[in-house]
Amino acid sequence: MAPDDPTADDAAGSGDRTTATGPALAPATDTTTMATRRTLLSRTGAISGALATGLAGCLGLGGGGDDNGEESDGETTDAGGDYGGRQPTVTVEDPPNAVFLPTHREAMRVGEPVTAGEFRFVPMLSYPHPFWTIAGSDDAAVERETPEVGRGVHMMITVQDRETGLVVPVDDGIQFRVRSDGERVGSPVSPWAMLSQEMGFHFGDNVGLPGDGTYEVEVTIPPLSVRRTGALAGRGEERVTGAFEFEYDDEFRHQVIGEIDYLERNRRGERGALEPMGAGSDGGDGSGGSDADGNAGHASGMDHAHVPYATVPAVDAYAGTRLVGDASAGGASSASADGEATAADELPRSDDAPIVTVLFDADADESDLARLAGDENRTQNPEQYLLVSPRTPYNRVPLPDAALTASIERDGELVAEYELEQTLDSEYGHHYGVVVSGPGSDTSGSGSESTAISSGDSVTVSVDSPPQVARHQGYETAFLEMESVTFEVPDAAEGGDTGN
Amino acid sequence: MTLPDRSALSRRAYVRALVAVGGGAALSACLDVTRDGDDDPDPVPSGTDDPDSLPARQHAWNEFSSRDEDGNVQLPDHHALVPLSLASDAAGDAEGDGADDDATAPSKDASQTTETALRTLERAYEWSHEGLIFTLGYTPAYFDRFEGSLPDSVDLPAPEALTARENPVFDEFDALLHLASDRPDVVLAAEEGLFGDRDELNGTDLETDLTGVFDRHDDRRRTGFVGAGLPASKTNVPGVPESVPEDAPFLMGFRSGFARTQASEDRVTIDAGPFAGGTTQHVSSMDIQLDVWFGQDNHHQRVSKLFSPTHAADELVGEVGDELADTSGVTDDGIASAEDAAREHGVVGHAQKAAQAREDGNPPLLRRDFSTVDGDRPGQHFLALQRGIGEFVRVREAMTGADLDISSANNGILHYLFVNRRGNYLLPPRSLRALPAAAPNS
Repeated sequence: MAPDDPTADDAAGSGDRTTATGPALAPATDTTTMATRRTLLSRTGAISGALATGLAGCLGLGGGGDDNGEESDGETTDAGGDYGGRQPTVTVEDPPNAVFLPTHREAMRVGEPVTAGEFRFVPMLSYPHPFWTIAGSDDAAVERETPEVGRGVHMMITVQDRETGLVVPVDDGIQFRVRSDGERVGSPVSPWAMLSQEMGFHFGDNVGLPGDGTYEVEVTIPPLSVRRTGALAGRGEERVTGAFEFEYDDEFRHQVIGEIDYLERNRRGERGALEPMGAGSDGGDGSGGSDADGNAGHASGMDHAHVPYATVPAVDAYAGTRLVGDASAGGASSASADGEATAADELPRSDDAPIVTVLFDADADESDLARLAGDENRTQNPEQYLLVSPRTPYNRVPLPDAALTASIERDGELVAEYELEQTLDSEYGHHYGVVVSGPGSDTSGSGSESTAISSGDSVTVSVDSPPQVARHQGYETAFLEMESVTFEVPDAAEGGDTGN
Repeated sequence: MTLPDRSALSRRAYVRALVAVGGGAALSACLDVTRDGDDDPDPVPSGTDDPDSLPARQHAWNEFSSRDEDGNVQLPDHHALVPLSLASDAAGDAEGDGADDDATAPSKDASQTTETALRTLERAYEWSHEGLIFTLGYTPAYFDRFEGSLPDSVDLPAPEALTARENPVFDEFDALLHLASDRPDVVLAAEEGLFGDRDELNGTDLETDLTGVFDRHDDRRRTGFVGAGLPASKTNVPGVPESVPEDAPFLMGFRSGFARTQASEDRVTIDAGPFAGGTTQHVSSMDIQLDVWFGQDNHHQRVSKLFSPTHAADELVGEVGDELADTSGVTDDGIASAEDAAREHGVVGHAQKAAQAREDGNPPLLRRDFSTVDGDRPGQHFLALQRGIGEFVRVREAMTGADLDISSANNGILHYLFVNRRGNYLLPPRSLRALPAAAPNS
């Protein structure tokens, strides 16, 4: 198949879809060679021809050389630049205020995982991308980044804790430093924390390059400042570095443009999400809603493209008492795309983000409570832990860097209000939580009366500021103006309620 | 070093590039371009034969500086930071004890030569923007060579990394000469007069120079500029986007150094001990990812991150800070605390965080920072004066905002800055500026 002309035709996406048999990964020896050559860098991986197979609909096709001459003409800094103007135009007319299907699936090169201290990261490269940055919650706080010069790459990494495998979904100030033959290229880069339907949570930015050649990238991962519990406690406390190397040339450009897979025009902008990369291409036409949670074949942890994908647990995977919300509130859709009601559909949504709220009690959920409360609260007589997990619909990607408050009402009166703290737990992953202390603790609410959350109470989760995470196409109109959502605490005896 | 290509650059950009290169050839080229311009440059005002007529503090710049229409002190347009190490010739036996120390204290001759050379600068140029203002500061490493240690009244620790994300190189040479003038040719000539091949400066004969006292570290020499219009003239440099506002005084596009957000010179002056009348100086040098700042954030987002989300929502700032007059506006009613902004807006302004470090409403730092395109990359040389380095560290901690529950990208301007170097200096009073001992009176 010839590389798609984004302005021409919409048939490509449903055409010659090839199921890849496996990525052409960089040989391990590359890594070894690089590490000895670049003694300056602590560890070096190399991106060679590896390709993310799950999302590349046209793998192995369209690689003919007939377009190479045209591409190499891109010496000027016109809009097309090195890519000959063939980057997708990603405009969806009138997108809904909800998660929607973008215009295409991306193609990218995926590097070998690189070890950096207690972390491992996977580098990925594509053509310079449009995306949306967020700083606040109103319209003016959202800005579309449109790459000006078509010379360079969209540089991404996904970071994972080596021990637990958890994908780190928070922004603590990762840095890229690009070099060519040991010389610095441009300013250092602080990649944005980003959400994409295919890649989930990752860090990325457009990085301009002066021309074709081999580039080295040093990645600095600063210590984590987010609260960590369980096996994650005490991890990620050092600043660490790792490095990778890549070739920027016609072959690269041809691949990351030519292997783009366009959706049919009438599907672009529909509510739904692309399946995570690495999820396999089975039925992966972007409809979503294929498993019990309405997620489009999610991948948990590592997959064959060895790109880890951040997911939070399915709603029924939490022990503890799941609070019951009104699924029709907060702009929720009434059913998933294929009309089959699932547990996830019962979740209330806030600006299209399903919200899971779970209460862990000392009686019923002792080990979870002890772990989630963390060592720092051991002396505070933790009695309960309230966990709130907003996530993307369809793909269950956590929504980090928001500010949430939980208000507890009993018989119509406010009895407590908690600012929830963003937390990474080794079992339940990313969430916002608070320890509710028992009587006698100085952190319990006013008076000596227990403020424990009990059955019949209502718990209102309000979003003080929405997830401050940059967005790839399909996520830029959701999770912004997030209404509060109210839950009821069911009879405690039921515990672990799965909602059906 | 090769000189920049005149034909490829505007006059302003060319002159800036000459200051960055430095040296005699750059000075000649700079004089050529200023002489053959349409506007005949005014003669540079000469200085004074009476050293006592000059202020006792090296850092007494404010009363000799111009002010903008809102009363904010303006810094000179052009700056050079010249790093120096004591030359082996300058080592003597100042202690007089015949000890063969590893790092020998400077000789009395070296000290006298230094003072003579600096007084020559003061004779050659008026102590003003039109002439030349300068300071000579000393690192903790310089004072290590003395048997005695610095008095307790001087808070000058060795520099260290101040955030978890940075891994800076430290200024471990001996001294830093800060030259500043509105005239780029004066900055260049003064350095050439002290270290180069000249026998006169602005009509004043040079009796001596510093070549026997100090060695320059050319690789660590830093230059910069500040003032409306200067950043916008640097868009020939890679990484400096065309969208830098025409009137912006700094590369990041906004005014800074508002009168009411700056400490007074009194506030930063050491008030006891042998170095009373001096101050401490922190210099950090950083890269700025300016193309992202201008290319990927909008004005609303930039104002939110530099000032506060309320400044952005209420449009308090203007294009380049022109609406703010003499204050960053952070203490005014209605501006949320940094904690509140983090929660309610998901963004905290740089100025909001800085305000947290005030004491009784008074800012502890006197900033004299400037923008740079050293190495053909956009950056900032952040230079701040304070009574003790501990105060700088405290403000820096507030700026880091580690206690705030906020994403890194929306935590002030941390996302855009990359600290490469840090250095701490003592700026002694003028009377002790020439190679002082650690314990001058003992």
